[in-house]
Amino acid sequence: MSAIAACGALFARDIRGVVRSRSQLYSSILTPLLILVFLGNGVSSGLQPANLPAGDFTAYLVPGIIVMTCVFSSTFSSASFYKDRDSGLLRMLLVSPVSPRVILLGKSLAGVFIGSIQGVVVLLVAAPFVEFEWRYGIIPGVFLAIFVIFLLNIMLAGVAQALASRISSIQGFHLLMNLVLFPLLFFSGAFFPIDGLPRWLEVLALINPLTYAVDALLLAAYADSTSSFLGLALDLAVLVVLAGGVYVVGFVRLPRLTWSGE
Amino acid sequence: MPAAVITARDVSRLYGERRALDHLSLDVPSGVVYGLLGPNGSGKSTFLSLVASMERPAEGEMLVFGAPPSSAAKAKIGMVFQENAQDPGMTATELLILAGRMQGLGGASLAARAVELLRTFGLESRANDPIAKLSGGMRRRLEVARALIHDPALLLLDEPTTGIDPDERRNLWSALLGAARGSRTILLATNDLAEADSVCEQVAFLRDGRLVATGSPEQLKSGLRRESVVVETLESQPPDPAIVAGLPGAGEVTISENGLRITCDDASALIPRLFELAPGAIRSVVVRSSTLEDAYFQHVGRRLETAGAAR
Repeated sequence: MSAIAACGALFARDIRGVVRSRSQLYSSILTPLLILVFLGNGVSSGLQPANLPAGDFTAYLVPGIIVMTCVFSSTFSSASFYKDRDSGLLRMLLVSPVSPRVILLGKSLAGVFIGSIQGVVVLLVAAPFVEFEWRYGIIPGVFLAIFVIFLLNIMLAGVAQALASRISSIQGFHLLMNLVLFPLLFFSGAFFPIDGLPRWLEVLALINPLTYAVDALLLAAYADSTSSFLGLALDLAVLVVLAGGVYVVGFVRLPRLTWSGE
Repeated sequence: MPAAVITARDVSRLYGERRALDHLSLDVPSGVVYGLLGPNGSGKSTFLSLVASMERPAEGEMLVFGAPPSSAAKAKIGMVFQENAQDPGMTATELLILAGRMQGLGGASLAARAVELLRTFGLESRANDPIAKLSGGMRRRLEVARALIHDPALLLLDEPTTGIDPDERRNLWSALLGAARGSRTILLATNDLAEADSVCEQVAFLRDGRLVATGSPEQLKSGLRRESVVVETLESQPPDPAIVAGLPGAGEVTISENGLRITCDDASALIPRLFELAPGAIRSVVVRSSTLEDAYFQHVGRRLETAGAAR
């Protein structure tokens, strides 16, 4: 019981920290919305993309921007490990009888929660301005979207955890997260459909985990999903397996966030 | 002799090629304030981290409460780190509550304990301020309060009074020792010899990860000459320490920052000889009774081997 209580205390503390950090909170929501408004409207008006499944580019971008928000959020949340190390708080946690893995679990679940909330907020804010078609009905569709966002955040938390276990500086961590995750966004279908891409890009998209999250969100939100070439069952299967697998693997090796840095 | 709370047998800890602890054997009895003294890099903090089960010895055996370090032992240990273990964005109360939860405490009793500690350490009025807004002394007191949240049987203090003024220091020690003297074991790692002299019942001198002397401050001082003469010299004409060591009545001679420190039994006889030896080279002379610092210099400080041989 005390492990659960300790996990809960760490979870609550990290949530409180993010809520108090207004600039981080606002920018993490506003940045994706600004991209949605300006890039979406700009491309819709300027290029008139007729082939998009969602009718216009702004609507098409919503799932991709949700995924992007979650990617950024997981990076910020994982950086809190380093922040706690640098402030010394981590030493206080590690000197307690609580297992280091419980400490990591509490902190990473907070990251998953924050990322999921931010993803859902983008969905809610975008909803009045774009015409979602909710292929499976509005309530199941919303729940499906929330479930996909949750799975995505678990997977991202696992990736961040695995990277943090091998990188000792926060600068190196940010660099690698950007190097690994940002390019993945480009060929995930977040910004343009994967259909009709050159073969080599299509292959890259197929081995890109983010592709399946974007695909599932597109399927949940829009009736016309002809461009979604994977299908919901495959999307969910891939996300469940990857989220579970990566999250567990991320916990196999503890981060180098220990004692004295010697 | 009370049972040992900490027993180290031939313990070594390596960081790469460097031996932070080198075959160290030490017993810390229950209920005492035990000082670990030594220069920076002598292995004091490393020893604390082994006791707290944050690291494992490369060689030797470490027993805490009679058993190898474990989660159960960790629950009985509180630790004050050399640098504060605090998130500046949290409030003092939040930090104490989080620390308590990590120790398996909760509910009203934890809240009451936090309030009690904030009161004991003079932080009650700042309980809900962000830690970033507290003064350095307040943060240090909070660090100690945090380590005491679960009323540990063993308290590890790593330079607990670094950077705080003498008043704060006195208050902190008063709060630390007030209720728990005799019932709680305190292991203090410090460079502050005067502080160790005033609060420790037992001390150990460490150098290069090895134990060089151990005992009560009185025992360690008992082998010393009665007085020491601290001579501040003019930089341009320092007297030769080897010649000073050869003066009748001079004991150990150590080089201090601005001159020399000479132990002796009769300073009034030695001082005129110093002035004869180095006319015009001495800026000031201070005579004082031997302290733990003298014992420390004798065991750990730079020592002129020729001085001993001369007498």
